[in-house]
Amino acid sequence: MLRFLLNRGGQALIAAFGVVTLVFFIQRLSGDPTALLLPETATQQDIEAMRASLGLDRALWVQYLDFLWQMARFDLGRSFVQNASVWDIILSRLPQTLQLAAGALAVALLIGLPLGLIMALTRGRAVSRWIMGLVLACQSMPTFWSGIMMILVFGVWLRWLPTSGIGTLAHLVMPSVALGLLSLATYARITRAAVVDELSRDYVRSARARGAGTGRLVRHHLLCNSMIPIITITALEISQLLAGAVIVETVFAWPGLGLLTVQSIAARDFMVVQAVVLLGAFVTIGANLAADILYSIVDPRVRLGAKS
Amino acid sequence: MNHTMKALLTGVALAVFAMPAFARDITIDLAGEPSSLDPQVQWNPDSYYVYRNIFDNLVTRSNAGEIVAEIATAWEQTSDTELTLTIREGVTFHDGTALTPEDVAFSVKRITDPAFASPQLGQFNQITGAEVVEGNKVKLTTDGPYPALLAQLVKLSIVPKAAVEAMGAEAFNASPVGSGPYKIMDWTRGVSVTLARNDGYWGTVGPFDTAVFRAVPDAATRIADLQAGTADLVVSIDSDAAAQIAGNPNIKALSAPTERVAYLGLNLDAPPFNDPEMRKAASLAIDNLGITEGLLAAGEVPVAQLASPAHFGYSPDIAPFVYDPDAARAITAARPELAATPVVFGTAPVFDQRVVQALQQMLNDVGFKVEISMTDMPTYLAAARAEDRAARPGLTFGRWSCACQDADGIAYPLLKSDSSWSRVNDPKVDALLEQARVSLDDKVRLDAYAEVAKMVRENYYVLPMYQAAVLYGAATGLTFEPTANESMFLNRMTWAE
Amino acid sequence: MTTDAADGTAKPRVTLARVLAWWPAILLAGLALCAVLAPWLAPFDPDRQNLLARLKPPGFEARGVIFHLGSDELGRDVLSRVIYGARVSISVAVLSVLLSGIVGVAVGMAAGYMRGWVETVLMRLVDVFLSIPAILLAIITVAVLGPGFGNVIIVLALTRWPRYARVAYGQTLVIADRPFVRLSRAMGASAPRVIALHILPNIIGPLLVVATLEFGLMVLFEAGLSFLGLGVQPPTASWGSMMSTGRNYVATAWWISMFPGLALFLLVLSANLIGDRLGDRIGKG
Repeated sequence: MLRFLLNRGGQALIAAFGVVTLVFFIQRLSGDPTALLLPETATQQDIEAMRASLGLDRALWVQYLDFLWQMARFDLGRSFVQNASVWDIILSRLPQTLQLAAGALAVALLIGLPLGLIMALTRGRAVSRWIMGLVLACQSMPTFWSGIMMILVFGVWLRWLPTSGIGTLAHLVMPSVALGLLSLATYARITRAAVVDELSRDYVRSARARGAGTGRLVRHHLLCNSMIPIITITALEISQLLAGAVIVETVFAWPGLGLLTVQSIAARDFMVVQAVVLLGAFVTIGANLAADILYSIVDPRVRLGAKS
Repeated sequence: MNHTMKALLTGVALAVFAMPAFARDITIDLAGEPSSLDPQVQWNPDSYYVYRNIFDNLVTRSNAGEIVAEIATAWEQTSDTELTLTIREGVTFHDGTALTPEDVAFSVKRITDPAFASPQLGQFNQITGAEVVEGNKVKLTTDGPYPALLAQLVKLSIVPKAAVEAMGAEAFNASPVGSGPYKIMDWTRGVSVTLARNDGYWGTVGPFDTAVFRAVPDAATRIADLQAGTADLVVSIDSDAAAQIAGNPNIKALSAPTERVAYLGLNLDAPPFNDPEMRKAASLAIDNLGITEGLLAAGEVPVAQLASPAHFGYSPDIAPFVYDPDAARAITAARPELAATPVVFGTAPVFDQRVVQALQQMLNDVGFKVEISMTDMPTYLAAARAEDRAARPGLTFGRWSCACQDADGIAYPLLKSDSSWSRVNDPKVDALLEQARVSLDDKVRLDAYAEVAKMVRENYYVLPMYQAAVLYGAATGLTFEPTANESMFLNRMTWAE
Repeated sequence: MTTDAADGTAKPRVTLARVLAWWPAILLAGLALCAVLAPWLAPFDPDRQNLLARLKPPGFEARGVIFHLGSDELGRDVLSRVIYGARVSISVAVLSVLLSGIVGVAVGMAAGYMRGWVETVLMRLVDVFLSIPAILLAIITVAVLGPGFGNVIIVLALTRWPRYARVAYGQTLVIADRPFVRLSRAMGASAPRVIALHILPNIIGPLLVVATLEFGLMVLFEAGLSFLGLGVQPPTASWGSMMSTGRNYVATAWWISMFPGLALFLLVLSANLIGDRLGDRIGKG
């Protein structure tokens, strides 16, 4: 296992490095930020001068080597657009992203898990099908639309929740629900499948034969044993949250990394985009690694890193 | 009820009703967050909305559009290339130090220093020197006569020399020190900027204790904020959104014509628009009134030149464009090959897509073959200003603003043959533009711009459409007069209680 | 309810209830039919603007012309745009699922079957693609390839193929270890033969489930791309782009987003339900 971890750890670093290199070059394929930083009336000379002052007129490979040298010193660079260190910018957005991720996961788990459990325990009956329909309906609306509907209903008409921005727990509710709805169905389905699987096991039959009630079964056995696939899914869902967060953060004016990503890409703020991608790469690759390890624990038939 | 209870209730009632009614804060929703608050390191409207309240400029425009005194109380063109301004006394920065002519000269030198690499350099690079004279005056020297100088100085903010040098650029950006009616209280990056009133301001003191600027990228959310009372003023809404809030007694839409001129750009270096008759056909196909009154309806004024009534250089004698789709069809029918050439209409999400789509249909109805190509802004800019002019998109729609309210700021970049935006190559136009740019005689300038407008109109070099209007959403109690240069001065607003 | 057949086994009876239980598939087929028959079903040209008849409510009538579902912000008939929108939304989803599925499954099977360095390289490539934010990939692809219907499909396929790869990889690992496969390889069967005859048929089940669920997601993602300005080019209507424009009018001209929203909702819901039922069947098998 240790050799596997070291091996995969090394591969993870190489993959992360590969991502950042890929992003470095493809970003520069499609223009640079100078035109956006300058007023419309800027002449070609103004643009060239600005490009030179930002160091963007140097040969691509020279810029790349400079970038590698920066990475080696753990220096994430400066944002062209915001005139601040990239590290500071990311640090200022990270808490909001973590809050949103935690909120979305809470919504997905606290609603998805129980629903999945109920569906498994009532499977075959109409109730189970209705719940599944409801759960799938949550995943059938674009987030920008469910977002604006929630803002209108709960923010403008009912005035129960604030319409946008951050600050209190009340501000976190609607964005978390909007983002969590996407994962909710996945959790419900996985839980249902896992619990159904468990229910067919011998220990359940013998427990039932001994007269154990459903509640006791759930608490002591079913949930615990169904945890593994749920954890596996969580690892994968976390890496997906950044992508889903982009739209939610735009609609709710939630200043997290998702909004930062899309704004920085639109502004060709190379340094910020690279840093965000690097962060995302570590999260994704780490989550995949964790999922693979858990997968091999669950199913011993899968041998890790086998030769062909 | 008993005695004590009554007393208590009365006391509470008195406290509630006796609270000062004039203590007021304002929350403003912007479309994006300020990228920096140092007035000289960015060209970004969201930043400007905020820092124009923190800093004073040399001169400013009144709500009616005239250039009036601010830090400079009087000015005189002492020679063709020299402008001498008298600096106001008794102005202090937020850190208590006095504003001196040295600070003015320092601000000018800082922004015109190529090593400083300000994105605004292009606006001020005609200024070659700034020096203090006679103790309370500053003399600005320009590279040749430059009539638009005063219009550009409307945008030049005065920064404190001592503070900037002591803090360094980075720290100054994070906690800017200005002399304006509001000073910075808090800036949480990505979240909001909070300004507090400067009670020692030399001019009109602002009505709000604090002002919070929030970034809300989605227009639908900004409207919702306004309806829910989360925001008191929101920017960048379109006419359909304004119509939505019309029925609500608590909020209102405010609009004003701006110095933005909407125009349809044609690529004169590639078919079909290299043929003047086809350009004429395009012009006849566009129903300007239909767009301004039927689609936009926010107070837009149709124009047939690259200037608006808010600009110096606007000529009232230019005949408006004619709308005659049948005549357009006759022209395209006579040139089937040219008409069948596919035309790419380059655009980006920031441009009003309703107008883009309406224009596409109007042109296709008379026989053109126009297809929309929507990409993001940097890609669009790269295509629209490509080196190979023939490869640029056949059509572009834009709303040009020079932030100077002077025809030189529009006509020169869009029509001068060596400008990266221009597709025009007419030596007579070039000569007129150069003449108008350096003449200090208003009449000479007006005549030159009138001649240029006539040539554009006759040759259909560009198809100007209308003077754009800007729309804000505001709470009913807020009195705010939008201006043509889209300034948002907090101390010019009032709150009715 | 069952009846006894001649041999005594129970035979399920075809009842209305049983037929109606298939409603997701029927609905999906109906929407697909709508897409195919669009030119005959739609009363007007979906791109025909009418600046004098903007934002009219459903049932609005003028000069003999009726906007059954109202008109949008440029005066175009919402009903016609919803009908034609079926073409765009459904074909974008189907084509992107096909493209990403084929690429993803091929990569996953190769990695899971051949193991060794092939597995390492391919699965790390999957990791790399999963790490690049979908937004970045979308914007850069559009910037490099240009916008348009075909490129939207490429964008969607580029961002989703890793998921198929991971599922195919995991399933292939399990199947490849089964005795009958190992026997087949020991007997000298070539790799393509083993993959085609033994691996693929056994992993196709879960992959189909993934594909039907991905179908719904592709419809939603195309809407997301339209929201960001990267989707199908105007004036072409997809349900997603109509909802994206319509969300600015939700309080007043609700019909602009509500009707395409309903259609999109039904499309995605039925695809999800079918995928769920497929999953049930395959789980039992």
